[in-house]
Amino acid sequence: MNSSHLSVVVDLAPAHWHRSSLHTPSILDLPSFISQLLAFLNAHIAARHENTLAVFGAFPGESVLLYSSSDPPADYPPSDANSFPPFKMVNSIIIRNILSHLESSTADEQAPSALVSALIKALCYINRLTIEFNASTSNAAEGLEPLALPDPRILILSVSPDQTASYIPVMNSIFSAQKLKVTIDACQLFGPETVFLQQAAHLTGGSYIYLERRDALLQYLTMAFLPSPAVRETISVPTQDKIDFRAACFCHKNIVDVGFNQVSYQDPAASQSGQAFTATDRLFCVEVTPLISSVNPPKNGWRSSGYTIAGLGSRRLAAFRSYRIH
Amino acid sequence: MTERIVWKSIASASKNRSDNADDKSLITELNEPHALLPFLQLQPATSLTRLYQSPSSCLSIFRLLDAVERQLTMNLLWLDSAISLSTMGAWVVQDKKKVYDDALDMLSRLHILNIHAGKLSLNTSFKTSLRHAITGGGTTGSFGVPAERDEKRPPMGIEGLDGYALERLFSTLWCHRELANIRKPSQGVLYLLQRSGLMSNHHGSLPQITSSGFQFLLHPPHAQLWDLLLQYLHMAEERQMDLVEVLTFFFMLSTMELGKEYLTENLSQTQKAMLDDLRDYGLIWQRRASSRRFSPTRLATTLTSSSPSLPTAVGAASSQQGFIVLETNYRVYAYTDNPLQTAVLNLFVSLKYRFPNLVVGSVTRDSVRRALNNGISAAQIISYLVTHAHPQMRKFNPLIPVTVQDQIRLWELEKDRLKSQEGYLYTAFASQADYEYVLEYAKQLDIVLWENNTKRCFFGSLDGHSNIRTFIERRTSGAAD
Repeated sequence: MNSSHLSVVVDLAPAHWHRSSLHTPSILDLPSFISQLLAFLNAHIAARHENTLAVFGAFPGESVLLYSSSDPPADYPPSDANSFPPFKMVNSIIIRNILSHLESSTADEQAPSALVSALIKALCYINRLTIEFNASTSNAAEGLEPLALPDPRILILSVSPDQTASYIPVMNSIFSAQKLKVTIDACQLFGPETVFLQQAAHLTGGSYIYLERRDALLQYLTMAFLPSPAVRETISVPTQDKIDFRAACFCHKNIVDVGFNQVSYQDPAASQSGQAFTATDRLFCVEVTPLISSVNPPKNGWRSSGYTIAGLGSRRLAAFRSYRIH
Repeated sequence: MTERIVWKSIASASKNRSDNADDKSLITELNEPHALLPFLQLQPATSLTRLYQSPSSCLSIFRLLDAVERQLTMNLLWLDSAISLSTMGAWVVQDKKKVYDDALDMLSRLHILNIHAGKLSLNTSFKTSLRHAITGGGTTGSFGVPAERDEKRPPMGIEGLDGYALERLFSTLWCHRELANIRKPSQGVLYLLQRSGLMSNHHGSLPQITSSGFQFLLHPPHAQLWDLLLQYLHMAEERQMDLVEVLTFFFMLSTMELGKEYLTENLSQTQKAMLDDLRDYGLIWQRRASSRRFSPTRLATTLTSSSPSLPTAVGAASSQQGFIVLETNYRVYAYTDNPLQTAVLNLFVSLKYRFPNLVVGSVTRDSVRRALNNGISAAQIISYLVTHAHPQMRKFNPLIPVTVQDQIRLWELEKDRLKSQEGYLYTAFASQADYEYVLEYAKQLDIVLWENNTKRCFFGSLDGHSNIRTFIERRTSGAAD
C-alpha cells in the first residue's frame, strides 16, 4: 500500500497557451508551465521509489501518451553526476515527445483540445494497471472481486473552456472513475471556470482549483495535488465551496439552468400508486417542453415528485434540486 | 551443622507475559519510522547540515520520511520566506493534530525544519539541495560520476549483479555451522555480525546464531540490510571514519542506476576505503579490488525504497509467499531449495528428508530444546512459522495448529521449570525451640527459601549465611555460659 499512481492530463492547446502568455498582469507561458510541471512530477516520483506516473497530452483534435513509467523507453538519455537518473529520464522524454508532436502535428490549431479523449485514455491506462495489479495477487485466481489500485489519481491541467459537446463523455468518465476508485483532481490554469471539471472533482472526491495567483503555479500544484488521498486525511487540500452543478442538455448540447427529464405517461389508474411515470436519464432543455406538455395530467394532479431538474443520472446526484410543475 | 548445596525451586510461570509483549512489538514495528532516522537524530546539527549539502543525501532522506512528513517538507520547499505555524496548522484536519505534531517534531529533530519564533522554514542547505535534486543542475556530483562504456570489458549484467549480491548477502547474513557449503564470509563480515550481537562465538571457534540474530531473521530482508548498515555506521564512528562521508556514500549508492558503472575517482579517501567493506556485503561489484570502476547492485539501489531488496529472480519469490506447511502431527513440509531457509529451519526442526524443492522434518522436543538452548524463544519460533507460512496454511484459523503452538510453549516452560539458587541448609537443631528461634530470626532477615517443621530444617540464601552463623554462634556460646 506504499505506492501511489498519478496520471496527469495536460491541456496543450497552442491557441489557448498563446492567449495565456499574453494575459497580464501575471503571464504564464508554456515553457515556464512545463518546467514547473516537471518539478511537480519529479516531486511525485521522489516521494517513493514505487510511485508510478503517466502523462497524457491533449493536443488540438488528438490526445497522446507522453510518458508512462510502466513502459520504459528503449533509449535512455545519458546520466550525469548532478541529476537523479529517473528525473532526467522523465524530463527529457516528456519534452522530446511534446516537441516532436507539436512539430509533426497537422491538425487544425484552432480545433478544441482533446481533453476528454486524454482523460479517457488515462482511465483506460489505470484500468490496465488494475488488471495487472490483480493478476499478481491470488485474488483473481480465486474469483474474488478485483482489488482497486492503492490511491490512483488523475490530475487534469486545463487551459481550455468547457466544450459543451463533451458533456456526456465527461460524465461517463466520472462514473468509470468512481468505479475504479480513481480520484480526479482538476486545475483550470486560464480562462473561465469550467463546470465539468468542477463536477468531476467533486464527484470523485478530488479537488478543483482555479489558478488565481498564476505566478505560484508550482506551490498550488504541490500543496493541493501532490498529497495522495491517504495524506489528505491528515493535511487537507483546498476544495471548492460552491460547485456549479449545471448540466448540458441532450438536444442542443447547451449548458442549461433548467432542464426536463423525458417522462412518459402510462396509465391514469396506475398513477394512484405513483408508478405512472418512467423517467429516463435524458435531459432536455426548455425548447422541447411542448413535447412534454402535450401529456394530459391526471385530474388529481401529479402524484410523483414531478419533473426533475437534473443532469444525467439524476437519482445518483443527490445535489440536484427537484422541481415540480403544476 | 550447615552444608552447602544447590537448591532448586519451581520457577513461576510468568514467562507468558513476556511472550505476548514480543508478539506486539512485531506488529507495531511496521509503523515505526525508518531505522536510520533515530540514528540521524543523534548526530550533531553541524554534521547533518554538512550531510544536507549533497542533493542525493537530501533526496534519500526525504524518501525515508513518512508520507505526512514528506508532504510538509514539499509544502515548504518552494517558499522563499518562513511561514507561521498557525498558517500551516490551518491545513491540518482537527483530529489528526497528533500525526501532524509528531511529523513536525521528527522533522525538527532531524534539523530539516527550523521552528523559530512561531515561524516554520526549511534548513537552508537542505532546501537548496533538495531543490537541486528535483530540478537537476548544480555541480556537486552527488549522484555519482558514471563511467564511459568500455567495449572491451562490458559491465556486469543486471542478472549477474543480482546473483552476486544474493550470494554475498547470504554468506554475510547466514554464516552458520550448517552452511559450510556456502562461501565462508570474510573476517570483516564476521566481526560486524559479532559486534551487532547477531552471532556469538562462545561455542568454540564456529559462530552461533543468537536470540537477537534469530529475531533479525524475522525482519523483512530490507530491514535486515539496514540493521547491518546501522552497525556499520556505529563501527565507523569507532574506526574514526568521517560519518558524513560514510552516509553520503550510502545515499549516493541508493540513487545510482542498476547496471551502470561508476568511477571511483571522485570519491573521498574514506569512501574508497568503504569500497572493500561494501563489496563484502554485496552492495557493490568490482571486477578487481583495484578496479577504478564499480557497479552498485540491487541491494544498494533499493536502499531507500520499500521494495524487496533481494532480487526477485532467485528464491525470493518463495520467501515472500511463504513456504512452510505445518501439520497438527508436528510434521513440517518446507517448499524451498534455498540453503539459507533450510539452515534456519534446521535450528528448530529435525530434518528428515531433502528433495530438490522440498524439505521434510518434524518439530520435536529435542529440536526445540536445542533452539531454546541457543537463546531462541518459543515466541520467536512461532512467529517465524507464522511469517513464512505457506498460502495454503493461511486458510486455517489459527494459522499454526494449536497443539503445536502450545507444545512449543510448554517445552519452553519446561526448560524454565527449575531455577537454581545457592545457599545453606540448616539442620540438626537440638530442640524445636532452637529451631523456631533461628527460623524466626532468618525470617526477619527475609532469607528463608524453604522450611520443614517436622524435619526441623530450613534453607537460607547464600548472602544471609554469615548473619545466621554469628547468630547461632552467639546463641550456643550464650547457652554455654
